[in-house]
Amino acid sequence: MLDILKMWITKGDFTETPPNIRDLDINNWQKDLSRINNLDKKIKNALSRSLAVRHLDLGSCNAEEAELIALSNPFYDISRFGIEFTASPRHADVLAVTGPVTRHLKIAMERTYNAMPNPKIVIAIGDGACNGSIYEKTYACLGRVDQFLPVDFYIPGDPPTPEEIIKGFLVCKMFLANKEEKKWIRKMDS
Amino acid sequence: MEAPVCLELYKKMKTKETNTLIEQIISFLKEYSTVHKLISQNHIEFTIDKSILAIASEHITKEPELNASLITITATDERELNNSYVIYAVFSLRKINHLLTLKATIDKSNPSYPAISTKITYANWHEREIHDLFGIIPEGIELSPLILHRDWHPGKNFPMRRDFPKDKEVPITDHELEFQEPHGEGLHQIAVGPIHAGIIEPGHLRFSALGEEIHKFDVQLFYTHKGIEKMLEGKTIIEALTLAEHTCGMCSYSHSTAFCIAIESLGNISIPPRALFIRTLCLELERLGSHMADLFSICSAGGFGFASVHAARLREIIMRSIYKLTGSRFFRGLNIIGGLQKNIPDKVLDSLAQQLLLFKSDFKELEKLILSTDSLLDRLELTGFLSDEQAISLGLVGPGARGSGINIDVRRDNPYLAYKRYKINVPVYTTGDALARTQVRIDEVNESLRLIKELIEDLPDGEVLTEQKSYSQYTPALGIIESPKGELVHWVMLDKENKIFRHHIRSASYINWRGVAQATMGKNIIPDGPLVNKSFNLCYACVDR
Repeated sequence: MLDILKMWITKGDFTETPPNIRDLDINNWQKDLSRINNLDKKIKNALSRSLAVRHLDLGSCNAEEAELIALSNPFYDISRFGIEFTASPRHADVLAVTGPVTRHLKIAMERTYNAMPNPKIVIAIGDGACNGSIYEKTYACLGRVDQFLPVDFYIPGDPPTPEEIIKGFLVCKMFLANKEEKKWIRKMDS
Repeated sequence: MEAPVCLELYKKMKTKETNTLIEQIISFLKEYSTVHKLISQNHIEFTIDKSILAIASEHITKEPELNASLITITATDERELNNSYVIYAVFSLRKINHLLTLKATIDKSNPSYPAISTKITYANWHEREIHDLFGIIPEGIELSPLILHRDWHPGKNFPMRRDFPKDKEVPITDHELEFQEPHGEGLHQIAVGPIHAGIIEPGHLRFSALGEEIHKFDVQLFYTHKGIEKMLEGKTIIEALTLAEHTCGMCSYSHSTAFCIAIESLGNISIPPRALFIRTLCLELERLGSHMADLFSICSAGGFGFASVHAARLREIIMRSIYKLTGSRFFRGLNIIGGLQKNIPDKVLDSLAQQLLLFKSDFKELEKLILSTDSLLDRLELTGFLSDEQAISLGLVGPGARGSGINIDVRRDNPYLAYKRYKINVPVYTTGDALARTQVRIDEVNESLRLIKELIEDLPDGEVLTEQKSYSQYTPALGIIESPKGELVHWVMLDKENKIFRHHIRSASYINWRGVAQATMGKNIIPDGPLVNKSFNLCYACVDR
């Protein structure tokens, strides 16, 4: 006990304060993304009001798909936020990937990504895509998505609930608009 | 175990009628083998020579008194134990609620055997899978790659052999898919996938059409193949349970329960009655959720938006009650060997009963809506026709089979958990079209609602977890349950450290995919393709693993 107290007094508290979306310095965050140039920024600003999302299953256990389908039911009704799912990657601004990348889908993944118009935003949904989940690396499973695609946003969860997915999409929109839209956040909190 | 000893054991356990049937099995399998072993109370294993595997299998399935069907064929690499591979063919004797395994050892220097699928056609995928993963050659059938795609270059890399390193990578090359191309005037092909337009899982479908009419339908699956069976090798039981649960999201609880049943039969664990009832209740809840998703898909593929939104709303209600009950929308982490991780209080279950009463009145509306709207009925009637003969020859299970007039249901035929105490009404429709499969689902939802109500009323008090004991090693164990999509089989064998030696998962969707292909090829037009597919609504994750 004394040791712990001593450590605490000499070295200070190690616990990090949880990130608060409202206090984030968005300009600093954008500097980190060197990929985003000025033109991209303008386009993304325009995109932020309506996201066209292309879903891409890279080997998930279909729980994430079930939750993505649930987003369009009357309880969540994602289209009220200006978010829509498209049928083709050519019409999409956002690629929403789920599941760890499997060997058999790697080529399909690359083709889908290449078919998207610039600027491309990639969101990894679910633990499988974010960190490989419990799926070990095998002859057929290659693991997390960011080894192969530049991922911009992560929505972790096993699977993330529809609320969490909506929250993720809204935060994505907020960053793209390059300004804080506090009213959305308040809505999600209540 | 010798035959007389075996018989005596049976006499203690079974009724007279069953005894005579078991005697019959032993007497007619006598010409093939004299070595039998009683694995568990209702599972008998015959060791036979590999050359007569196919003939014996045919004999068992053709015997009308047994009413037997082949559940699964799997292989193990037991070279480190006895220098050989072993093939296990498992049959379910539905009439007497009994399992029968034929075991044949295959020498490692000559890994081949006469294929069972020359006699039983629906064993084809099982044997091609064994060839892909183990390099054991079933002689007499065409061995095109099934699980591993064509760029794998079979020959030296057989991933399920135990000396194949878990994380060994095989280079990926861009390759064309190969299908038998139809020839004829006016025939053209339509390729769909692997990335589809909607939010569904990946798979490549190839329609050959003559004008609008579908002439031939081919499918290339196993895009989401992650090698879960290889991952499971060498895992402890608890680790394996989590992985089994993550095989599929929609049937998550069915997978974990099937695995638990298999392991509990190895350890002779009898779980407490309250856990039995809660497990059964959760299985029925999962069925409700899955069937609502199916009805949603059928209505949206049939172009009936209103009903599909209605079904989606009802599904969300079920998902939320599951969340209230277990803390996860997919029952994750509820099951554990020997019972449940946590008890569900009576208060929560009572509120569930209240919720389901409201659900029932809402569902009545949806049922009326689906079965009385002519535009939807017009799409469903005669679409994706599958006769009972076709369904039997494909060995179909689940709602797909029951829509074609085959009266099977594991809950009634091989009862497990608390199903032993209830009479289950199995809806069977003989028309064999998409409408029949929809009606089966509607009736099953009503049946599940009745069962859940009775289960909550009869729920006993007490603990939900028993202590774990030791497990028998190198013994095959089976967990067979009726998942929302049909019969689901987990085949497990433990090694001497109680870790997984081999775990084979055969889902209902694995069997029923061939039903989809057959049903699509009937007199359907291209726009009916998605509707036929959705009338089965199979998981890809379950199939691909």
